[in-house]
Amino acid sequence: MAAGGGGSGDPLAPAGVPCAFSPHSQAYFALASTDGHLRVWETANNRLHQEYVPSAHLSGTCTCLAWAPARLQAKESPQRKKRKSEAVGTSNQTDLLALGTAVGSILLYSTVKGELHSKLVSGGHDNRVNCIQWHQDSGCLYSCSDDKHIVEWNVQACKVKCKWKGDNSSVSSLCISPDGKMLLSAGRTIKLWVLETKEVYRHFTGHATPVSSLMFTTIRPPNESQPFDGITGLYFLSGAVHDRLLNVWQVRSENKEKSAVMSFTVTDEPVYIDLTLSENKEEPVKLAVVCRDGQVHLFEHILNGYCKKPLTSNCTIQIATPGKGKKSTPKPIPILAAGFCSDKMSLLLVYGSWFQPTIERVALNSREPHMCLVRDISNCWAPKVETAITKVRTPVMNSEAKVLVPGIPGHHAAIKPAPPQTEQVESKRKSGGNEVSIEERLGAMDIDARKKGKDDLQTNSFPVLLTQGLESNDFEMLNKVLQTRNVNLIKKTVLRMPLHTVIPLLQELTKRLQGHPNSAVLMVQWLKCVLTVHASYLSTLPDLVPQLGTLYQLMESRVKTFQKLSHLHGKLILLITQVTASEKTKGATSPGQKAKLVYEEESSEEESDDEIADKDSEVSDLFPVYTSAFVTSYSKNEAFMNAFLVGISTRIIGMKMRRRVKVKKMRTLMKRKMRMLKEKMKKMVRTEI
Amino acid sequence: MAGYKPVAIQTYPILGEKITQDTLYWNNYKTPVQIKEFGAVSKVDFSPQPPYNYAVTASSRIHIYGRYSQEPIKTFSRFKYTAYCATFRQDGRLLVAGSEDGGVQLFDISGRAPLRQFEGHTKAVHTVDFTADKYHVVSGADDYTVKLWDIPNSKEILTFKEHSDYVRCGCASKLNPDLFITGSYDHTVKMFDARTNTSVLSVEHGQPVESVLLFPSGGLLVSAGGRYVKVWDMLKGGQLLVSLKNHHKTVTCLCLSSSGQRLLSGSLDRKVKVYSTTSYKVVHSFDYAASILSLALAHEDETIVVGMTNGILSVKHRKSEAKKESIPRRRRPAYRTFIKGKNYMKQRDDILINRPAKKHLELYDRDLKHFRISKALDRVLDPTCTIKTPEITVSIIKELNRRGVLANALAGRDEKEISHVLNFLIRHLSQPRFAPVLINAAEIIIDIYLPVIGQSPVVDKKFLLLQGLVEKEIDYQRELLETLGMMDMLFATMRRKEGTSVLEHTSDGFPENKKIES
Repeated sequence: MAAGGGGSGDPLAPAGVPCAFSPHSQAYFALASTDGHLRVWETANNRLHQEYVPSAHLSGTCTCLAWAPARLQAKESPQRKKRKSEAVGTSNQTDLLALGTAVGSILLYSTVKGELHSKLVSGGHDNRVNCIQWHQDSGCLYSCSDDKHIVEWNVQACKVKCKWKGDNSSVSSLCISPDGKMLLSAGRTIKLWVLETKEVYRHFTGHATPVSSLMFTTIRPPNESQPFDGITGLYFLSGAVHDRLLNVWQVRSENKEKSAVMSFTVTDEPVYIDLTLSENKEEPVKLAVVCRDGQVHLFEHILNGYCKKPLTSNCTIQIATPGKGKKSTPKPIPILAAGFCSDKMSLLLVYGSWFQPTIERVALNSREPHMCLVRDISNCWAPKVETAITKVRTPVMNSEAKVLVPGIPGHHAAIKPAPPQTEQVESKRKSGGNEVSIEERLGAMDIDARKKGKDDLQTNSFPVLLTQGLESNDFEMLNKVLQTRNVNLIKKTVLRMPLHTVIPLLQELTKRLQGHPNSAVLMVQWLKCVLTVHASYLSTLPDLVPQLGTLYQLMESRVKTFQKLSHLHGKLILLITQVTASEKTKGATSPGQKAKLVYEEESSEEESDDEIADKDSEVSDLFPVYTSAFVTSYSKNEAFMNAFLVGISTRIIGMKMRRRVKVKKMRTLMKRKMRMLKEKMKKMVRTEI
Repeated sequence: MAGYKPVAIQTYPILGEKITQDTLYWNNYKTPVQIKEFGAVSKVDFSPQPPYNYAVTASSRIHIYGRYSQEPIKTFSRFKYTAYCATFRQDGRLLVAGSEDGGVQLFDISGRAPLRQFEGHTKAVHTVDFTADKYHVVSGADDYTVKLWDIPNSKEILTFKEHSDYVRCGCASKLNPDLFITGSYDHTVKMFDARTNTSVLSVEHGQPVESVLLFPSGGLLVSAGGRYVKVWDMLKGGQLLVSLKNHHKTVTCLCLSSSGQRLLSGSLDRKVKVYSTTSYKVVHSFDYAASILSLALAHEDETIVVGMTNGILSVKHRKSEAKKESIPRRRRPAYRTFIKGKNYMKQRDDILINRPAKKHLELYDRDLKHFRISKALDRVLDPTCTIKTPEITVSIIKELNRRGVLANALAGRDEKEISHVLNFLIRHLSQPRFAPVLINAAEIIIDIYLPVIGQSPVVDKKFLLLQGLVEKEIDYQRELLETLGMMDMLFATMRRKEGTSVLEHTSDGFPENKKIES
């Protein structure tokens, strides 16, 4: 199952990179990057297992790849197993990897030997190979090409078994039926062939653009009323280049129905598709579609006939970098491929740059419609390669060389050059992992050559940006140029800008000079530069005075306050120095402050003691409430003190009433107490002063 | 008793972009609705008839959207290859479209299958249009030819082989059924007449022409290609009127506003510019997220639809203005007494005596009138006032200073209030229009609060900020002074050059010049 439709499905949308999971429990992930390298990664621990560079990797880059079906599966005949192992010459663990190239040859690579096993050339294709499929039982290989032909290969003999014309235009995709007797091929339209006779059995409408992926989604028909002939009633799926729809077709017994029964819609062109086959009609098909925009869409659907509306995904998975701090926003990390694990409940995600992908197993939780995983991939750049296995020797690059990490265009994954290594051995390994193509290396050298004038490199674009910004009055573009702080850069930009932009630039500067001094200071730098560099040009202008008049007036009006401002500044400096001085001495004076506080506490206690002496416990309870407020404010305001006293007395009266003490008695008591209180206060005030 | 004279609020010229009628008009759109198409949107065309549906051509599909629908109300997907330039007929019932394989197909809006298929072009047809008589279709293709087709019997009538490169744009005259215009990558725009078999006019644009447009009157032609938009006078035999260069990337589409007063151009630099057709100056510009390929305006400019390279269709609807008028405001009964007699028309013999109008004083004026200076200052230091109308705050401070009570008004404030004042100073001290008044105020504050400094960390921090700001401003002004010196030099050299003929003026040219400038 995994061999037929699962991991080794063709991922060959032109937008993506050829890559595939190995069919046998998905232990390996093969990826043929555009620099011509084939890399095999271990999915379990995210390590580089092998790396292989075909000898013709620059002229004939790899366009498609497919893992041979695992030979340890039960249904495989022992006889053929033997033959295979003979051919390979090692244990039956061998996994062959077929690579199609842009020049038409097909390479067979053995992952166990770690080298090229054989090469299928003679009588084959004379143009780009678009898709390769292994036959799951017979060990044959099927390939299709831009030369309109489909070829059936005998792998053991490395010879063409059969070659026939598959379409009027290039054939872009292939798929073998679950029973192994039929073959689907597609250019723009889809054809179903009988493998034995090589005759067309059915036609399907197909897509407007070349079909990039084809795969069967069911192995059993939904209704078992009529006898199953191996193909009728089966569903299959197709995706095309530049098309956001994945169509599902059904092989019908009658030849009438040619259009798709249903479709899935995704956000962008699909680059990698994986699915779990549904074994019976109750089991839903699970589909994982990796789009060009780096997202994975998951679908889960029971296929049962015609559905008019395109289905949207049940779940979307995205990966992003953590936004460090407030300023840096999270950036999306593109997902390169996704494959269902054998338990169908978790998903292997390959993300990051194809140059150094990260492989992770994610458990599926279909309840959430959107999942965003936050991953920091910047620290995974140091590749973990086992030296023993790596067969490739590459020149050691010194740590100063700039490492370019290519990615899928349109994505800005956080890219950091690998940190320089300390150990000699380590750096050797590392350079093996970080290998880049000749073209990119040349590009890096180019930069190095011009490194002396680093500013030159930037100013090449700055004058262009500036003139463009001035012409179209683009605010952002002007901001980008004008807000630079580098004086050298400013000078060079001004030197290189065309003369006719001088006056527009001066007008723009006039606008910007009015703002906050923070930004306006930068504008003055520009203005000064323009005036010094283009002085002779400016002085030849006949209408210089009216042109620069407003600018001059503006500056003059601003400068008018210079004297006053300097005066104020002097005052402020004095003030600030005092503050800082007092702050320094604060530590020393703090005990004194404490002592003052204690004094206040004492005074309040004194008063409450008095109250206790008056045998009025309630009043003493009241006092702490008032005393603190009182003590802080008594010195300010006489009236406040009076109010305070009245407040206390009324409270006391209230309490006494409750106790049914006679009012008269109470009054005399109050009077006496008031007098006492007043005396106390006066005494206290005196002592305080 | 003399009345209280309210404080004169000094008005300052508004800085920044001027708000014109155009900015108001073109900003009066709702937030855009974005629709994801299947590929780059190469053409958007509005039906000229109500309900003003529009056809969107993207990839191999043509979608027809209703005015406010976000889902297509109809789809033509019977194209094997990419479709181009779906255009409505004047009556809005037929639609014609070109295709990558060289076919031209005619659809009925209500039908599904094509009514007519015109076969004859050998390469992709990028432009098609109906002529003014509705019975012919003009098409231009990548095989360098322009063909005229008859709709009723689907025959080719004429072929023009005058272009020497891809024909990528064209349009038919709205007035004359025999005239149409095509633009080509051979840098020319040609006007063809169906009666003569040859082009009657040819203008050299200078860049591969991406879009052409005829004014409704037929007299002016607009062509876009490269970074230029050029306007040609057809009646003067193709004289170049204006050449506009306001984009920094290729201009891809043109469109006229429904009044014909404004010309719109969209470009790969992600901008749409609006020009006045009287002055040919840019009066407004829109920004979009991606490079623009197509642009269309609905009837009465109700909707702006822009198609982009990333397949996103952005639809902006005009904000409806009818709402305000529809609901008459309910007035309370008191309003009737208030309005009573106000609309009495003066008879011939009547002598009208107006009641003296009651002067309304602002709140801060009332406070000032009653000498509640502290309160008046508090009122104008309120955040609502300081943010919206700082000039009022400054004017009050100035008035208080004039009365000589600014120190009193500022005194006796606690930490919170003083930090309010300092905030205002920090925010506005660097503005030249407010600087003289505020510097004075700052000095007074320092004088008052010097004894209590160091008691509140909040206020101290504010003072520190203020100091930093003043320091920066001083540095800036120092730089400005230097620059002024440079400019003086420049002006002086100018002066000397003028005065070389009159020698006696050269000696004292410099001071004189300075006088003029100041």
